[in-house]
Amino acid sequence: MDWLEQELKNALERKAPSPDFAERVRRRTRGDGFRTALWPQRWLAAAAALLVLAGAGMGYRQYQGNQARQQVMLAFRIAGAKVNHIQAQVKERMR
Amino acid sequence: MKRALPLLLLGSLCSGLWAQQFKLNLDHLAGKAANVVDISLNGPMLQFAAKFLDNKDPDQATVKKLINGLEGIYVKSYEFKNTGAWSPSDLDAVRNQLKGPDWMKMVGYTSSEDGETADIYIRTEDKKINGIAVLVSAPKELTVVNIAGSVDLESLSTLGGHFGVPKLVPPPHKK
Repeated sequence: MDWLEQELKNALERKAPSPDFAERVRRRTRGDGFRTALWPQRWLAAAAALLVLAGAGMGYRQYQGNQARQQVMLAFRIAGAKVNHIQAQVKERMR
Repeated sequence: MKRALPLLLLGSLCSGLWAQQFKLNLDHLAGKAANVVDISLNGPMLQFAAKFLDNKDPDQATVKKLINGLEGIYVKSYEFKNTGAWSPSDLDAVRNQLKGPDWMKMVGYTSSEDGETADIYIRTEDKKINGIAVLVSAPKELTVVNIAGSVDLESLSTLGGHFGVPKLVPPPHKK
């Protein structure tokens, strides 16, 4: 047996796990350790996403409102200008 | 909710159709026009827009008052580069709808000089005006407006003199 075979044998040899291994695995799968540590970050990410969504919703509503306002103003501008023009022309012809 | 949504959409569509008091079948002119204004705002849209009007701005404050009692405002305005882009039958299709008993021609004029015609019709119900139609045509322009709702003549007159349009001042008399 040369040194390489000996090294491989040592590396691949069956080793018993530490006494607390099972408990550590159980704790992780229950989320008591690793997952619990991530909870605040996840809540923060969810809250940030909600804030962004709410902001986008409000921004879109404002955009729609401005569009509607511009359309109303343009409609009354045209109607007002036409009515005024007709009134002026009729008054002129009645002279 | 899934059942209510189509009903809401249908209701909104129907309210839009009912608010408009005559058909503005002029869409075929849009392709020929150099400038097109096509505005179609029903009652709920007007109320929504009213929330965004600024009372500090005199014009917007006036419009906000005018919107009260309105069921819709519909504008189709076309400007053409050349004459002959629209035909008299386009305007007749609109005028014929205003020959019913509900509509009355309030004022109108025809200018043979510049080929311009303009009419204002009012729609009455129970002796109250509940709609106005404005038809203006020139060789290179066609505009039809329908303001649906309880518009009194006072409201109509307040339209003049706003938006940079001078108050009713007759043009200088030609000698």
